Amino acid sequence: MSMRPGGELATRPLHFIWMADCSGSMAVDGKIQSLNTAIKEAIPNMQTVADENPNAQVLVRAIKFSSGAQWHVSQPTEVADFKWDDLTAEGVTDMGRALSLVAEQLAIPPMTERALPPVLVLISDGQPTDDYASGLKAVMEQPWGRKAVRIAIAIGEDADTEVLQRFIGNPELKPLQANNPESLVKYIKWVSTAVLKSASSPASQTLDSATPGANVPIPVLPESASSSAADDVW
Amino acid sequence: MSYILKPGQQVRTETSGMTCEVSKFLGGGGQGEVYAAVVGGKAVALKWYYPASATAEQRAALETLAAMGAPSPKFLWPSELASASSVSDYGYIMPLREARYRSIVDMMKRRIEPSFRALATAGLELAHSFLQLHARGLCYRDISFGNAFFDPHTGEVLICDNDNVTVDTRARGAVYGTPRFMAPEIVRGDAVPSAQTDLFSLSVLLFYMFMMHHPLEGKREAAIRCLDLPAMRKLYGTEPLFIFDPTDDANAPDATHQKNATIFWSIYPKFLRELFTKAFTEGLSDPQHGRVRESNWRAVMVRLRDSIIYCGHCKAENFYDADTLAATVSSRGQNAGACWSCKRQLSLPPRIRIARSEVMLNHDAHLFPHHVDDERRYDFGQALAEVTRHPTEPNVWGLKNLSRQTWSATTARGELKDVAPGRSVTLARGTRINFGRAEGEITF
Repeated sequence: MSMRPGGELATRPLHFIWMADCSGSMAVDGKIQSLNTAIKEAIPNMQTVADENPNAQVLVRAIKFSSGAQWHVSQPTEVADFKWDDLTAEGVTDMGRALSLVAEQLAIPPMTERALPPVLVLISDGQPTDDYASGLKAVMEQPWGRKAVRIAIAIGEDADTEVLQRFIGNPELKPLQANNPESLVKYIKWVSTAVLKSASSPASQTLDSATPGANVPIPVLPESASSSAADDVW
Repeated sequence: MSYILKPGQQVRTETSGMTCEVSKFLGGGGQGEVYAAVVGGKAVALKWYYPASATAEQRAALETLAAMGAPSPKFLWPSELASASSVSDYGYIMPLREARYRSIVDMMKRRIEPSFRALATAGLELAHSFLQLHARGLCYRDISFGNAFFDPHTGEVLICDNDNVTVDTRARGAVYGTPRFMAPEIVRGDAVPSAQTDLFSLSVLLFYMFMMHHPLEGKREAAIRCLDLPAMRKLYGTEPLFIFDPTDDANAPDATHQKNATIFWSIYPKFLRELFTKAFTEGLSDPQHGRVRESNWRAVMVRLRDSIIYCGHCKAENFYDADTLAATVSSRGQNAGACWSCKRQLSLPPRIRIARSEVMLNHDAHLFPHHVDDERRYDFGQALAEVTRHPTEPNVWGLKNLSRQTWSATTARGELKDVAPGRSVTLARGTRINFGRAEGEITF
């Protein structure tokens, strides 16, 4: 016999999608290994955040893009069961193809009508080699694409921050510049914890924490990572 | 993973000048990280701030709080600041939370299953604790799921994250609250946190605990596709409407997505439903005078606990609802209704009416100073009476005197008897018991 009736607190799904650049340049200086490590390090933190959040059902997926794009984790996976298989780097930077794949999945269906804002994280170290603009247009044509929290991480100095800025679509929010493995770990941890939390059940709000123009309050980074060339160990 | 402090690392407490050694990382939040640590052989918790949160204002606030001391032992209160030459910024020491205290999130995810009795006790302790805090002129600012813990077996509470507490209205601290818990006037940007807005957040927390649902998430929430900031601002700020508003059903619970609210609402007695209704009708429209105060919640939580009855068939806890019963009195007596769990007919145990209380005399019932002494309201320390079974006649139940004073009992036939400490008086209809400062009458 249950002590009290009813079920769990009602939740809404929160889709979290990693979009990882696996072009050949990511093989240089161990960038792809650093990305694999950073995401694997972030998973337990992400699980803790989801576990402490009674309002959201966090579902994670991943896309890899190089010459073409492909779902790396195709099924929306409960974060408790999410596992990361290492990515390898080879080929060009077909970012547009990756965006189109995301756009297909943001349509209703397969997306449900009721949800929390999805979180899309685009990670890239270079220039798109295909028509990224049409991919981005496809994403933005979907209501869930427009509502999504779009975060971009630029790895190294060669990343096309202008393209990443267009993906974010909010001048108040800049791409995160990761020039060394430490800052990449920090940013990946930040998106998979602070941003995830904010998109579902925002943590204690402070006066300066909201980002103008955003439909989800993007939390401030705990501290700004150094982007000076001296730290560049790629 | 990189944390600010490492196990074995030492920092120094600023007031007592003692060494504080970090044992292990416990958790991270928006403002900093919390560690288990040892000071002078005693296990404590150490919170260390991120650089962005380690402001001069925060430091000053902590110094004030540490100097004031905790409003009660229910608060894991900052005792002193800590710093180190090897690490930037600062932290503070507070008591460690025992593992038996679980988060309210665990209850929302049904990982813990408290009884209604434990829940009412938790509600009482929360209301009592925040009353003590507010009575000192302090404001908590961020009452929400993450900041209160309770023992699911006993209902005892602990209130954490007290570093955002400020002196009411004086300070303009950084924390504005947690969405879904913030008072509508804060969501709209019309007000800053105060004791009045704490009252709203407390009502939301209690509603969540009792109904497993948010009081403003009805049809309007169900109709929203993307629950983002603009949607939340509307639901919780500019157009809040109680899901059980007696005059407007435009935001009634949705039958598919919001079942919990409807299931729980019908189980509770009218007096609890009425207080929640006040909290989310007048409490929405009149922040200054319409909010339910902690003392109201405290009284209702005790009444709720005293109203618990057990189903004779499945033993599930149900509630005695005098207001509803009065309307259903038949020639055969009162109809206590059906059990929420097994749906079979409930029967009422003997009750005792003492001044403002009516207590169900279940097999495990106790009376406390609260019930029999107006000077000792909310004293639930030492029980003064308990229900017992007659040693040789199992069908006879009595009330045993656990106090140090002799009671006098008058039976329905007018016989007067002394009930010395350790003795019991039979539970019979119409028997009156004089406890010294108050008299109670047994009813069936």
